[in-house]
Amino acid sequence: MKENGPTHALSIGTIAIAFFLFAAFLLFPLNFASLLEAWEKKVQIILYLKDGIDEKRIVRLTGDLEKEIGILKVRYISQRAAMESFEQDLAGYGGALKGLKADIFPASFEITVEEGFRTPEQIRSLASRLSTIPEADEVQYGGVWLERFSLLLYTLRWGVWVLGGILVAIIISVTANTVRLTLYNKKGEIEILKLVGATDTFVKLPFYLEGGLQGLLGAGVAILLLFALFRMFSVTIAPYVSLFLGEMQLRFLPPSIIAWILGVGVASGFLGGLFSLRRAARI
Amino acid sequence: MIHFLQVDKTYPDDIKALTKISCKIERGEFVFITGPSGAGKTTLLKLIIRAERQDRGEILVNKRNISRLKNSQVPLLRREIGFVFQDFKLLHNKSVYDNIALVLRAVGHNKKEIPKRVRHVLKTVGLEEWILQQTPLKLSGGEQQRVAIARALVNTPAIVLADEPTGNLDPELTVEIMNLLEKVNALGTTVVVATHNTGLVAQYQKRIIPLYRGALAA
Repeated sequence: MKENGPTHALSIGTIAIAFFLFAAFLLFPLNFASLLEAWEKKVQIILYLKDGIDEKRIVRLTGDLEKEIGILKVRYISQRAAMESFEQDLAGYGGALKGLKADIFPASFEITVEEGFRTPEQIRSLASRLSTIPEADEVQYGGVWLERFSLLLYTLRWGVWVLGGILVAIIISVTANTVRLTLYNKKGEIEILKLVGATDTFVKLPFYLEGGLQGLLGAGVAILLLFALFRMFSVTIAPYVSLFLGEMQLRFLPPSIIAWILGVGVASGFLGGLFSLRRAARI
Repeated sequence: MIHFLQVDKTYPDDIKALTKISCKIERGEFVFITGPSGAGKTTLLKLIIRAERQDRGEILVNKRNISRLKNSQVPLLRREIGFVFQDFKLLHNKSVYDNIALVLRAVGHNKKEIPKRVRHVLKTVGLEEWILQQTPLKLSGGEQQRVAIARALVNTPAIVLADEPTGNLDPELTVEIMNLLEKVNALGTTVVVATHNTGLVAQYQKRIIPLYRGALAA
């Protein structure tokens, strides 16, 4: 590789850019998924009740809800408790709250969903079942945001695969062209090697290895660069982002994905070498 | 050793290179293949190492029918043959040592043995050891051709094929190189020299296979 230093450096640089984009794109769904998990943990369903339901019925309803599949905990909030909570939340505006009566606050159930039932689809389905209870006035959950976010995550995950496919094609093409250039530079040497009885493997193996090494180095450089930028981002920018998106545990690519990216680098570089030798004129 | 039986070779666009060639070269012989440019000399040499394939006829090298060799067996055939070119075909970015050692590395020789063999063959072709670290372009034409012959001999082939080996050399160096090839032949190697230089052929009094427009001349 040292004989064609600038060409190889350019090739490794191009591969590194391609892998950098791919790996950076992988980071989004990874971190959004953790944000989604955090949000899912906080998800609650609020079932607002119609006015005038007696205590006996409330107790029975509480029991019925606790038996419902997917519900972990049920907490009844009476009209008075709702008003007190409202007053607590807006304690600074004491004067403005004077004269409010408890009966304008609806009684409700705060329902905590079991861990295995916190996907947007399951929460939507549970909320829909709860809304059929005759005493239910309205059922609220943070479903719309959760569903939108989940859809975004789904799109990103698929986007990664599409982008990954395109990038692998780019990497194969870049490596193939570099290896082909080396091949033409070494045409004389290859011709002599073949004439003196070198086997095909002896002649071709260095080109395959060259392609594989280029892919590995390109992927390695990309991951190092991404890691450096990730560290910078997580120290300087992430705290500000958390203000808007809530507590967010930023995660870098796990070792298994790093190993996978390096593996794809080697494999696509190797394939590039293979294609260039196949397409090159018979030597 | 080398046996051509009714061999025809036509290149694309119907360019007939060889027609009905039948000839025999015995073990240990020194033979000239002569003829003007385009007579088919180089094609004949290329057929022996299976760099080209004949359209018809049979070619036997060391009693093996080379047209029946599998592609994977061709390297083994070529290891028995040394090839010398008119333009030397040395690698200019490598030292003389590496140019010669390349052959031994390619055929998987013991690494420890390589320097010994390179020095030995260098002596055989009459070059001194200081030349080993030089690159070919720093050498004279005669020295370069000696290095090329050393490269052809280093794997101790049974046959040496030389395609116009003196074509780029002045008369004095031509004699040097021809004497060297005679010396190689005297050591038991079969030598086949393709040349259009009739003066050279007359000077060395060896058997001639004359070609004219792809056929054996009468």
